[in-house]
Amino acid sequence: MADRRRINGPPGGTRPPVFASLQESSTGIANRAQRQRQPAELRKIFLKTGLIPTASGSSYLEFEPSVSLAAARSNPKSLIPPSSALKLACTVHGPKPLPRSAAFSPNLVLTTHVKYAPFAARKRKGHIRDASERDLGVHLETALRGAIIAERWPKSGLDITITIIEAEDDRWWGDAPDSHDASWGMMNVLAGCITAASAAIADAHIDCLDLVSGGVAALVSDDSNQSASSAPRLMLDIDPAEHRSILSACVVAYMPARDEITELWLKGDSSRAALEKDDGRTGHEALIDGAVDAARGANTVLAEAVRESIARSFA
Amino acid sequence: MSNQRQASSASQVPHLSPAELSYLYTSLSLPKNPIRPDGRSPTQFRPLSAETTILPGTNGSARIGFADGTQAIVGVKAEVEKTVLAADTLDSRSLAQHGDALNREGEQGSAAVSGQGEWVQMSIEIPGFRDDDALPVFLSEMMRESLVGSVAGGNGDAVKEMAGGLKGRLVINKRWHWRLYIDVLLLSQPLAYPLPLLSLTTHLALLSTKLPKLKSTGEEDPFFDDDWAAAEYLYPRSNISKSLSAAPSYPVRPPVTLLVISVGDNVIFDPNREEIAVADAVLAISVTRSGDSETLKLLSIRSIDPPSRLTQPGIPNSENVNMLGATAAPGEETGGQEEVEGVWRPRRGGVKRSVIARMVKTVLGKGGVGEEVLEGLEGVEVQ
Repeated sequence: MADRRRINGPPGGTRPPVFASLQESSTGIANRAQRQRQPAELRKIFLKTGLIPTASGSSYLEFEPSVSLAAARSNPKSLIPPSSALKLACTVHGPKPLPRSAAFSPNLVLTTHVKYAPFAARKRKGHIRDASERDLGVHLETALRGAIIAERWPKSGLDITITIIEAEDDRWWGDAPDSHDASWGMMNVLAGCITAASAAIADAHIDCLDLVSGGVAALVSDDSNQSASSAPRLMLDIDPAEHRSILSACVVAYMPARDEITELWLKGDSSRAALEKDDGRTGHEALIDGAVDAARGANTVLAEAVRESIARSFA
Repeated sequence: MSNQRQASSASQVPHLSPAELSYLYTSLSLPKNPIRPDGRSPTQFRPLSAETTILPGTNGSARIGFADGTQAIVGVKAEVEKTVLAADTLDSRSLAQHGDALNREGEQGSAAVSGQGEWVQMSIEIPGFRDDDALPVFLSEMMRESLVGSVAGGNGDAVKEMAGGLKGRLVINKRWHWRLYIDVLLLSQPLAYPLPLLSLTTHLALLSTKLPKLKSTGEEDPFFDDDWAAAEYLYPRSNISKSLSAAPSYPVRPPVTLLVISVGDNVIFDPNREEIAVADAVLAISVTRSGDSETLKLLSIRSIDPPSRLTQPGIPNSENVNMLGATAAPGEETGGQEEVEGVWRPRRGGVKRSVIARMVKTVLGKGGVGEEVLEGLEGVEVQ
């Protein structure tokens, strides 16, 4: 029997009324974030090590806000920011002895935790790690395990914890999820996690084969007139909020000195890529090469941050 | 148990001695014709037995058992659910709700509603693992992402029905949609990395999945035919061609995720537990047949942490304290970093781009392994 003494709210959620005339003015094409960079131009990265004194190694990474976000901050027209820029902090604890109860391990035991702060994305995340965060943790572990020389620390453990303070959007906030929609923002987050974790590991003076850095490339079809004829183009270091539809994306963890990939994650349809006529590569190969180029770019920043870290430890 | 926890992405820490690992690696990396422990060719799969529609309480189900005793059951359940638009979504759909004639016209022209990836839920249960452990989560995300990511191209009636991929098929109308629960149960301890088994079983279960026939039209609340015999397949099939064989053809098929390893210069498919233990690189590659064309389409690639990184390296005699008297010049070798023939040393670092390209090509190429697997699956009779 339903409760008749109270006036209950509707069982489902409700939406505030939004008038079509208002939408025309407030969310027109002009307000949509547009990519101002060249296809092969990367965002600037701020990377600093040693900010957390209690950890044996730490780093903080920030991506440059997009032009539209910077404009919206200086001259706000709407309460809703047009895009977001990645910010994350990484701490490394260890190498430390494994607990007595743990089984013997001839190698360094690596544990990675990736956690979004509850306020990191537009939709609140809970305090318990969900499937996507665990998934990111596994990707990060794969990327780092290939770079660390683990047999130099038998019976030891290394904990890497990443807190994402501001995450990337999966799409422009006003768009409904469409057929090409997936969690593209996660790939940018993973690339940032790899670069930051690599800096923090170097800051903790743990032996690695090389500095491993993350890079993202994507196939984007950005036709504003909705004509499906134009082929998607390859772009490096995408901000998903700036694009209408992302067909496929790829993130790699790359070691430039050895020209090797320790982690590869590619998803989406890469078969319709618009390449040069004499380019014999297939879509996914071009995508992987693009991501490697982006990772090379991030590696220069990473090397500079590690150099600062070394200079500080000898000062 | 704690060993399993540590080896989060690879299934287990291999319990093989360095000498055994070295022997395996050498025989698997023989140029041109690797020797596998069970005598298969590099691209050959393990023999398996499969059946579909085994669970009466589900919309679709399948069971696959490998000859080594590992078995998996997949049940697919579908529920009707009300579509909730995010409050801040400002697109043609919300405009059309205001009854604006102009917007409605434009909205009819474009693909009406596209589905959302969240409508497909996947859970994997592996004995010995908690459901929030890294391995089940990683496996289910990997299979779900290729499943919802596949968007069919090409033309033809049945293909049009699957225009938005699986996500588009789940849309009933603007206000209602299907939610698909795919529950994967591994019945035995994972002897090898369970990905190929789970992926093939999920593929068959989805092929056998039926949804009740919709009787209502347009934007009405959904109302279904209660005759189960009239139910429609989730993945539509066309029975136009084959007259003598009853095998239906599927214009669109669910994706298949293949496990590929590289050892030395060789590319090896469907590795068992011992083979994956010595792999240089492990990739999970998802492919599907695209529309009516014969070529295969790549949906996703993920690298998997090779378990060889967790193994103990062997010690060459020249460095072994117990062998001091036996070797000719004790104490001369220093460092111990260089490779010694016949002594196991797990491969460090990552994988070259050329190796990845070769692995993908073996799957995708004309007459490659991907086609072979899909053809083999077509041979399984799906009721």
